[in-house]
Parts: sequence; structure tokens; C-alpha cells
Amino acid sequence: MVSPASHNGSNNGSGAPARSRTVRFRIQRCEGPAKPSRWEEFDVPVEAGAGANVISCLQLIAANPVTVDGKRTTPVVWDSGCLEEVCGSCTMVINGRVRQSCSCLIDNDAPNDGDVVTLQPMSKFPVVRDLWVDRARMFDSLRKIKAWVPIDGLHDQGAGPRERPKTQQTRYVHSTCMSCGCCLEACPQYKLEEDPDDWDTAFIGAAAIGQVRLFNKHETGAELAGERLDALMGPGGVTDCGNAQNCVKVCPKEIPLTEAIADMGRAVALHGLKKFFRGK
Amino acid sequence: MASKEPFMQRHHFLLRRLHSFTGVFPIGVFLIVHLTTNASIVWGRLGVATEKSHGGVATFQHEVEFIHSLPALLLIEIFGLWLPIAFHSILGVYYATTGKSNIKHYRYQDNWRYTMQRISGYIGVLFIFYHVATLRWGWTWLPFASGFNFREASSTTAIALRGGSEEIGFGAVVIGLFYLVGVLMLVFHFANGLWTAAITWGVTITEQAQRRWGYVCAGLGFGLAGLALAALVGFVTLDIDEAREYERARIIELESAAAPDQQAGQLENALARH
Ligand code: SF4
Ligand code: SF4
Ligand code: FES
Repeated sequence: MVSPASHNGSNNGSGAPARSRTVRFRIQRCEGPAKPSRWEEFDVPVEAGAGANVISCLQLIAANPVTVDGKRTTPVVWDSGCLEEVCGSCTMVINGRVRQSCSCLIDNDAPNDGDVVTLQPMSKFPVVRDLWVDRARMFDSLRKIKAWVPIDGLHDQGAGPRERPKTQQTRYVHSTCMSCGCCLEACPQYKLEEDPDDWDTAFIGAAAIGQVRLFNKHETGAELAGERLDALMGPGGVTDCGNAQNCVKVCPKEIPLTEAIADMGRAVALHGLKKFFRGK
Repeated sequence: MASKEPFMQRHHFLLRRLHSFTGVFPIGVFLIVHLTTNASIVWGRLGVATEKSHGGVATFQHEVEFIHSLPALLLIEIFGLWLPIAFHSILGVYYATTGKSNIKHYRYQDNWRYTMQRISGYIGVLFIFYHVATLRWGWTWLPFASGFNFREASSTTAIALRGGSEEIGFGAVVIGLFYLVGVLMLVFHFANGLWTAAITWGVTITEQAQRRWGYVCAGLGFGLAGLALAALVGFVTLDIDEAREYERARIIELESAAAPDQQAGQLENALARH
């Protein structure tokens, strides 16, 4: 068993009964890109009310990486940053469902002694090691759809155009996307593409479609609206969505991704028509 | 540079949207018309039809004769139906292979619909092929197949649905079930496709709009499924002898009304074939 050190944010005598229990972690491990994967199990002591989450348990395992068979192994590798569900880097598949590991509380997900928590890396991104994946393709997608507001030059360009409160409201929630990849992991149309040459034509996924909505509705961002729609019209664009609507259900930020998909579907249809008659 | 891209990529958007469009028009519209026509076999029995309808046989015969009186029927069929269906099917299968169902891990109703849309598409293609090949092209060498003759619309349809026999035997069970599953799959595929088409084209954007349109599509789907079931039961339980009696009388009626010589010969040929 992993040694019973204290968890992050441990219980400072709040009076809640500390119920000690053991939670078993089944972890899918992999030593590096293109290496085979294997399963390892660890028992971790948990106290109720101590705020244990998946990451704090992984820290305990890292401190003393001994499997349930008593075999000493290498520490499990994972990625994390903010530890408060705003950076998206700790995303993994927990008990078969994709979510952030930092906000996955053990008291909620494994409340009983002997409960099992299964950890796997996301399957739609190449594994760097163990639970750590490389989401570079997501950032490449943001480049493809020009997810920025174009304000070139260092000179003072004066005040920007006013933004209407209603548009602002629509846009705000899209601005909370943290490129975590949940929506892509759960999407039946989004697939693992290891070769960057294939990124351009493979389905871009809901996150980037939501970002097109965010930036096209921005008064200055709209400068690039046509180019963004062009990107969404091509292979791998919004047309490749199969309307399974898994994305919207797993998004931790509750971003209305299916609304964005429909909105961009309309924008792209009008854009296509306009282009047809303008001839460009 | 653009011209160096493969055809499918160069015309990606157009093909995708044509795929969506053909599913609704003409295919979906035709499905509604077709299922309504079929159901006319039970209108007579339910007393809905106005004329004396011989248990729906006359109503159905009337509908079929109307369709066969359309000018350039073969051209309408080829360009209005067969080509759009072939286009929608081939592209659909191609697109379906680009996804990978993950219903095991994400058991949402919408995810189930996504998977069903693909399965119903595959089954629907097989069904339509068998249906058109046997009843329209007369490929009676296919298993349990028999042909369709528009002068004897009800009786030949009833026999086809009984697996090529007048009795309700093994063939009737096989073909009856095949039709039942095939038609219900197509109805689902259309109702669900109509729902997603509204998202694809950006007609329903908000979640609320999508939900409302979902009720409309579900209602349409259940309505069409009801029509399809009524027709299926109507044909399988049809009294074939009685139907034939009416159809012969109708042929003689047309014969005497038409220009005596040539038309009569054609009608006799039609009769002799069955
Ligand atoms: S849209 Fe939601 S699920 Fe997708 S990357 Fe952004 S925050 Fe994550
Ligand atoms: S709605 Fe589209 S983007 Fe969202 S999960 Fe389904 S296929 Fe993927
Ligand atoms: S560590 Fe940033 S979201 Fe979990």
C-alpha cells in the first residue's frame, strides 16, 4: 500500500468524521510514444472529508510507487497545472468518462472502502507517457481557424467598436473554453491523428467550432470571419460533425457547443451561397 | 494548387450539403408520399375512402394508376429517385465510415441516435435495393421475390409481401419481417435526419429550438411508422382472390373504354403474365 501521507488540502479539524478507507487505482500505463500499454493497480488510503482528488492520490502513488502485488515500479506520470479546473491540462479518462482529474473528488466517485478508480489517458491524442497526452493538435486547430483578434501594428488605433451586451453574453461562455479536449475525446467523429500532415483534413471537433463563434461575433475579430468560415467549410470542418451531441454533455464549462455547431452551420451555408454568387 | 486536391476534398462542402439536401428532398418527401399511398389499402376498410373501395383495393389501384399515368415516369424515377438515392447512399456509407461509435462509454440518448442513424442507413440501403429490384425491376430471381404489376397492384403486392406465395408461410414471415424492419429503419432514418438537417443548415440553433423541432420530427416519425404498419398489415391480410376479382373487372372496364385494338392487346398481355 502507498504510504499514508497527507493529501492536498487535508482536513484541518473541521469536525467531519474522518472515515479511513482504501481506494484502488487501476491505471493504464505506457512508457512512451508507440510503446505498448499495460495495467497497474495501486491501493491508496483516503480519509473522508479530506478533499482527496485524483491528483492528490497520484501524488501519493508517485511518492511510493508500489503496486498491489508489492512490486516497486516507476512513478505514474500525469499533466496538471491550475488544480482548479481552468487550465484543462489534467484531463483524462476516469472510470470510462473523460473529465478533469483535479476536480474529480474521491469522496464523490469512490465513497466506499475498496472502490476502484480506473485512470486512462485520453484516446484521441498521442500519449507522451502514462496519463500525459500531447494536445498539440488542438492548438494547431486554433491556428487553422485564426482564433485571435487581428490588431496589427504598434500604433494607437483608437477605441474599438462597441460590443452589444447580448452578443457579449453569447460570447462570454465560449471564452471559458480551456482547450481541455473533453469534447473531442467523447466525439465519435473525432479521431486520433498522430501525423500532423493529416490534421488539416481530419475533423476539427467542437472546441474549435465554438471558438469560431466566439471570434466571429467579436466586432474586430469579425475582420477574419470569412477566413474562419472557409476553414470550417473545408474537409474536417463543421460539415463533418455527425450530431451525436456528446461534446456538449461532457464539456466541463457547459459551453453550448451544439448551438455553436448549428450557428456555424448556418453561417457556413450563407457564406457558401454568397461566395457562389460573388464568384470568389 | 486547389485543383490538385482529390475530388472529394475539393467539393467537400457542396457534397456534404447535397447529401443533407437530397435526404430531405426528394427522398424524404417521396417517402411520405409513398407510405401514404401504401396505406390507402386500409382506407377502404376503415371507411375513409369515398368510393366503393373493395377493402381498399380500388383505392390503392386508383393511386397506383395515377402514378403510372405520369408523363415520362421513367425519367422522373431515374433523376428524381434512383440517382438521388444512390448518391445519398453511397456518400452516406462513405461518411459513416469516418466515425467511430463510442456508445459503450457515453450512453447518451443522442449518442444512441447517432449510432442508430448509421445502422438504419446500412439496413435501409439493403432494403431499398431489394424492394426496388424485385418490385420495380422485376428481379424475381432474388430470394423470396415476386414481381409487381401495376394493373394488379394490390394482389401482386400482397403476394410479394408473402415472400412470393399466396399462402402465409415461411416466406411471408421472412419477407414480412424484412419489410417491417426495413421500413421502420427508413422512417427512423428520415425523422432523425430531418432533425439533424435543421442543425446542419443552422435552422434550429438554440437548445430549445432543437428540442421543439425534435418533437415535430418524432411526431412525423411515429405518424409515418403508423402508416407503414397499417399498409404492411393491410397487404399481408389481404384477400387475394377478392382483390383479383376487382382488378380483372377494372382491366375489362379500361379495355372497353380504350381504343379497342391495341390497348386491349396490351392489357391481355398484362393479364397473361400473372
Ligand atoms: S469546449 Fe469544453 S470540453 Fe471542449 S475543449 Fe473547451 S472546455 Fe474543454
Ligand atoms: S455533435 Fe458533432 S462535434 Fe459534438 S460530439 Fe457529436 S459529432 Fe462530435
Ligand atoms: S489542473 Fe488545470 S484543469 Fe485540472
